[in-house]
Amino acid sequence: MAIVETYQLSKTYKSGYFKKTSVTALVDASIEVRAGEIFGLLGPNGAGKTTFVKILLSIVRSTNGSAQLLGKPVGDVQSRAHCGYLPENHRYPAFLTALETLLFFGKLNGLQKKGAKDKARQLLEFVGLKEWSDRKIQKFSKGMLQRLGLAQALLNDPEVLFLDEPTDGVDPIGRKEMRDLFLRLKNDGVSIFLNSHLLSEVEMISDRVAILNKGALLKVGTLDEVRGGTTVHRIQIAGLLSPEQIKTIGLESQFLQSDETTTTISVKTDAELNRTIDLLRSWGIMIKSVAQQKSSLEDSFIKLVTNGNPV
Amino acid sequence: MKMLAMVRFTLFEAVRRGTLLFYFAFGTIIIAVFAIWLRKSPEDPSMIMLFGATVPGNINGLSSADFFLVMLFRQSTFWIIILGTFGAAGLMTSFLEKGIVELYLSKPFARWELFASRALGASAGVAANLMYCIVGLWLVFGLKLGVWHFGFLAAGLLVSYAFVCYFSIVSFVAIWSRNAILSIVFGLFFSFISIGLESREKGLYRLWDNTIYHRFLDGFYYLTPQLDGMLSNASRLIGQIPFSQEPAAFNPAPYFYSLGTAALFYCLSVYYFSSRDF
Repeated sequence: MAIVETYQLSKTYKSGYFKKTSVTALVDASIEVRAGEIFGLLGPNGAGKTTFVKILLSIVRSTNGSAQLLGKPVGDVQSRAHCGYLPENHRYPAFLTALETLLFFGKLNGLQKKGAKDKARQLLEFVGLKEWSDRKIQKFSKGMLQRLGLAQALLNDPEVLFLDEPTDGVDPIGRKEMRDLFLRLKNDGVSIFLNSHLLSEVEMISDRVAILNKGALLKVGTLDEVRGGTTVHRIQIAGLLSPEQIKTIGLESQFLQSDETTTTISVKTDAELNRTIDLLRSWGIMIKSVAQQKSSLEDSFIKLVTNGNPV
Repeated sequence: MKMLAMVRFTLFEAVRRGTLLFYFAFGTIIIAVFAIWLRKSPEDPSMIMLFGATVPGNINGLSSADFFLVMLFRQSTFWIIILGTFGAAGLMTSFLEKGIVELYLSKPFARWELFASRALGASAGVAANLMYCIVGLWLVFGLKLGVWHFGFLAAGLLVSYAFVCYFSIVSFVAIWSRNAILSIVFGLFFSFISIGLESREKGLYRLWDNTIYHRFLDGFYYLTPQLDGMLSNASRLIGQIPFSQEPAAFNPAPYFYSLGTAALFYCLSVYYFSSRDF
């Protein structure tokens, strides 16, 4: 079942009263996010990621195309009752304590006072802010505000959670803890829509990703699909090979990297791997290691953003 | 429930920002001044004294106490509304700040509900303080002079009503510009203009003897809340306006007209707020 479905979603911002200027933020973006998955939307700054999420939550109106959230057209107030949202650069009234903030937003979600209080305390514990529940949030660090934001987004036990740069400004330990929280939520059946430009993080937890650049979707799929599924074998040997040796052992077409003491040979297929090892062994060259390496999401991302055409 | 939570939060925000506390302190000082320095004249108990000076009476048939209440009401209500604008305008822009508005809009809460509860909270804060001041003064007059003037209380309610109508313009500018200072400036400008519009036949008409200009002023008068008309008529619930040849009869027309124009401005605000991207 799709929890988010968009069809040729486009957005152009217009500004200025007399001299109108327009900025295209999103062009014909069509994606589907399935229930129970962590979906990562990747893109450089200004790619249109935030606009995409804001359209889904009716904070921004699309110029063209259509979108459905939890089976209802976006804009439906009731479908938002089942969504949680942690915006980028979110702010809370500084005069409130963490508990008061959650109580207030709990009531905006329709929770009763008693239920909201219990839920707020439970979530403060969940995000590790139990000891800070009665402190004014103006004293909170960026990382603590992100955790509070996450607690706020979970107040209504959402079916789908929209997270916009959730680990921005959070230290490495905090990031790890937040990633663990996301995985726990996923295990509890919450679908997560994760906006980020931090590729490694998305790669660690996402089931599927989409890459967006200048408002256009470049690629959508599982991590393997987006990475291109290319795998290389790297053979590390002791010592250096001269060009003559390379030519002699028939490795001139292989990719070689050398430093002062070792040489790394990259081959693409299993057949090439076996042939190369046979050749190296037949010449008495010591093989130090053989490793299989997948191309990283970063490699694919950079390739797509630099040269890519929309899907 | 959700709207009530937002109304209560808006009031709480006003208190924590200090705007309503300032208003509250101001009202308390006024009540305290009258509680301490208002008394009956020892020579003629039908006359009242403030700061040791006798308040005149029998102007347009008004008693000393009524005269004083009318003058107090006339002189203070306009400024109470101005002060209220300073207190409430910021509340109509603070919820639109980047990073906050996205949170509100992502909740299962229609935009009109969000706007209405915010405007209601801001107006309620001002109205509560206004009624606190009016009821306080009413009690001072009742307890110290034995004058229990219910017209004064009713006039206070009408001023609150007038504020809600007038605030429609401030809210509209606040939503449109997202700038509290601009909405205050516009509100002040409008409140001063409203005095001129109320008596336009004796003043603004004479600036230019042109029918189109006169009709423009009429249109402006009927398409905006009639603030001065509402305040003048509220004071008529207390008694005949001293030094005035105007009839004492209470005229409800400005309240009806203003209800319509305020509804129009509030609807425009909702329309603009609902169609805008954040």
